[in-house]
Amino acid sequence: MEPILNVSNLEKYYGGRGMVTKAVDNISFSVNKGEFVGIMGASGSGKTTLLNCIATIDTVTSGHIYVDGKNITAMKAKQLAAFRREQLGFVFQDFNLLDTLTAYENIALALTIIKAPVKLIDSKVKYVAKALGILDILKKYPYQLSGGQKQRVACARAIITQPSLILADEPTGALDSKSARMLLESFETLNRDLCATILMVTHDAFTASYCHRILFIKDGKLFNELVRGNSSRKAFFDNIISVVTLLGGDNSNVF
Amino acid sequence: MFFKLAVNNVRRSVRDYAIYFLTLTFGVCLFYVFNSIESQQAMAALSANQRQIIEMLTSAIGYVSIFISVILGFLVVYSNGFLMKRRKKELGIYMLLGMDKGKISRILIAETLIIGIFSLGAGLAVGIFASQGLSAITAGIFEMDMSSFQFTFSLSALIKTLLYFGIIFVVVMIFNTISISKYRLITLLQASRKSQTFRIRNIWVSVSAFAVSIACLAAAYYLILNKGWTSSEIFLLCIILGCTGTLLFFFSLSGILLRVIRANKKLYYRGLNMFIFRQISSKINTAFVSMGMICLMLFVTMVTFSVGTSIAHAASQAVKSAAPYDLSLTKFALSSDEQYTAAEKPVTEAFALQDLLDLYAKEYLEISFYNNMIDMSDMPGILPDIPPAAQTSPMRAVSLSDYNRALESQGKAPVHLGTDEFAVNCNSPAVEPYYHMDRGQTITFNGKEYRLGIKQVLNSTLDTSYALMDTGTVILPDAAFEGLVPNVRTLNVMYRQSDSEYAQQATGAFQNRIAQQAPEGAGQISMEEDMLVRMYDKEEVYSSNVGTSVIFSFIAIYIGLIFLITCVAILALQQLAEASDNTVRYGLLRKLGTDQAMVNRSLFMQILIYFAAPLLPAVAHTIVGLQFSSMLVQIFGSGTSIVTMSLITAGIMLVVYGGYFLATYFGCKGMIRPKK
Repeated sequence: MEPILNVSNLEKYYGGRGMVTKAVDNISFSVNKGEFVGIMGASGSGKTTLLNCIATIDTVTSGHIYVDGKNITAMKAKQLAAFRREQLGFVFQDFNLLDTLTAYENIALALTIIKAPVKLIDSKVKYVAKALGILDILKKYPYQLSGGQKQRVACARAIITQPSLILADEPTGALDSKSARMLLESFETLNRDLCATILMVTHDAFTASYCHRILFIKDGKLFNELVRGNSSRKAFFDNIISVVTLLGGDNSNVF
Repeated sequence: MFFKLAVNNVRRSVRDYAIYFLTLTFGVCLFYVFNSIESQQAMAALSANQRQIIEMLTSAIGYVSIFISVILGFLVVYSNGFLMKRRKKELGIYMLLGMDKGKISRILIAETLIIGIFSLGAGLAVGIFASQGLSAITAGIFEMDMSSFQFTFSLSALIKTLLYFGIIFVVVMIFNTISISKYRLITLLQASRKSQTFRIRNIWVSVSAFAVSIACLAAAYYLILNKGWTSSEIFLLCIILGCTGTLLFFFSLSGILLRVIRANKKLYYRGLNMFIFRQISSKINTAFVSMGMICLMLFVTMVTFSVGTSIAHAASQAVKSAAPYDLSLTKFALSSDEQYTAAEKPVTEAFALQDLLDLYAKEYLEISFYNNMIDMSDMPGILPDIPPAAQTSPMRAVSLSDYNRALESQGKAPVHLGTDEFAVNCNSPAVEPYYHMDRGQTITFNGKEYRLGIKQVLNSTLDTSYALMDTGTVILPDAAFEGLVPNVRTLNVMYRQSDSEYAQQATGAFQNRIAQQAPEGAGQISMEEDMLVRMYDKEEVYSSNVGTSVIFSFIAIYIGLIFLITCVAILALQQLAEASDNTVRYGLLRKLGTDQAMVNRSLFMQILIYFAAPLLPAVAHTIVGLQFSSMLVQIFGSGTSIVTMSLITAGIMLVVYGGYFLATYFGCKGMIRPKK
């Protein structure tokens, strides 16, 4: 398995002149093609900053990020935009659908931005929508959809360009438990049937239990790594809970 | 503390809403300039006649100013609403921190005061300087010497401006206070998060509304062009049809447009086109009333500009050819008055004017006319499509020798006719196009047949009058009038001296003599219908024409400019207020990998289409409106001037509209730029 994402010695500092906050402090890891990887950590642990750096939305202080063999930390603004639209797919916590466009158009937008041939658009959108079970809501506007439906539309938009990597930032954060479960099953579908490589940030153990592998981050540093292997999701969930307890563990020293 | 907060808020909103501030300043400036006309330097050197014009102009501007202040008041209240909308979250935070509504109101009042004081100050400062420029233009119109320049300042205009805008700002404060009292904390805080809901109209509703709107507009266009002049009811009907059609057009536009463009998949699914069209259609959908209003206002602006300035231009051009003599005295024979039935005596003899002519005239001549012998229906050949109402209009007849004497007195070469030939003279630009001189025509006059001798319309003016009003004079050989008695005689006089004082004195003398000589109650010099004697002097014609010119052009420019800046300011503010929502949308597009060039292009197209949407129908309306009103302009003079003035109007529109468009584009671009 070749790595699709390779992060080496990544650092991201905020502030300056004696008031430096190390949001990401020397993190290295890699993600292989077809993996479903989770990043867990408490609020303020630096997981979203890490994701933003990989997403090229934020710049790094030092270190390198390679996606599909290309060093994205050395790219110019125009190259970055092209990289984002061709290699990455995004799923955000607050859906980030365009409210003036229908579900269908929101999905198609990702294709029109990369100037895909018009005749391919319809079949691609329908194919992805079918896989995610949202065929019947394609004509609706975001305000007519539930949170879960919106998030699945966002998933469809993320996968439709067949990106090297899908980045999901707390995708279940704004969903109720039923919608969250359906969304995570959608992620599994994307991963298994559409061969998507997914990197998901979350602080919720249940959400994380759908991943193959979980990286735990604390105070900007890599703290632990869990691999699901062949264990059941329930067993994996218990493992996660114990690591989370461990993570929170030295909080008790604070009190 | 509150004041400091207010000052900071204003500083920020001035940066974001420079357009609002500039429009306000511009409005104040125009208001001052036009209301200060009375006290401008040029006015000090005016003659009594001219002073009268300025008094009329001043009172006209006074009335127009009330209307203008209502428009500006609407603009200020409307734009202020936009400013408030953008600041909902900020107001929510004040409330969350425990500030009561009274205090928030006070902050807003302080802000309105600061903006008001600054824009009033800036507007007045610019206005005071601009009024010096207008003074120079006025002086130019009245052909006055402005070599001794004096800086003038109008206290009354200043007070008026302060008063009117003071009222406007008080109204704004009241509006703000009312809207604050209605706000609820939760809606304020969630204002930015609330996603818009779009009421997409049923496509059939859109289609039928669109069909009705096109039908209304077509009917209005057809009626105004073909029957617009016939009655005021039809004119009113056209206005109503036009307004209804325009509003329905914008009501249905977004639905139709979107449907049409979506049908073209190649266009719709290319780059950000989908996003652009959706954005525009949702904006037009919600703002169709204001779009319709803006379209109609732009139409009024362009028509007022073109027609007003054309009339002004035509009037000042026509005056030179309409008044070739210093004085024209015309004596009519009326069947109702025995004494004057036959105008057998020349004017000079009838009123014993010979001694006055010896005293004042450098040159004089009398021309005899034979009215009611022939009318327009006698010439179906060269007048094939004259409107039915005009068919029985009488034409004057004049002998070739009288005609040539008139030409000679104006330094023109004489014309020649054969013994059985006639020619036509017409100087009215409104009527002249009806003559088709390339066709043949024979007429019967006094029992003998004549054929058309000169294959073109002669354009000479045979007597001085207010405008070019000769709709048709038939010139025949002298022999044709054998045995006939002329029923109209005109005495044309050129004075010995050309200055206005001498002319007034001479005209006065002629006027007195006629008043003495004319029989009681019959010979009054009047413009009434059944006059016996008509008297026009060049001085009066000049000042009245210049008066028309000045009043029309000043009012047209005043109303035109205010309407124009109001329209574009509203368009600009609607787009700028959108920009905060757009920041989120464009942020998302950027995350999805849209590069800056694509985002900029999308923004540009959005604003361009939004600005063009009300302009294009307005231009169509204007073309029809100008067709209709070109008749009106032609009454005042030369027919080509409306084209020139329309081009000038187009130029002004382009500069103001283009300027606001670019300002909006760059303003929005600044707002959506990612914050570092």
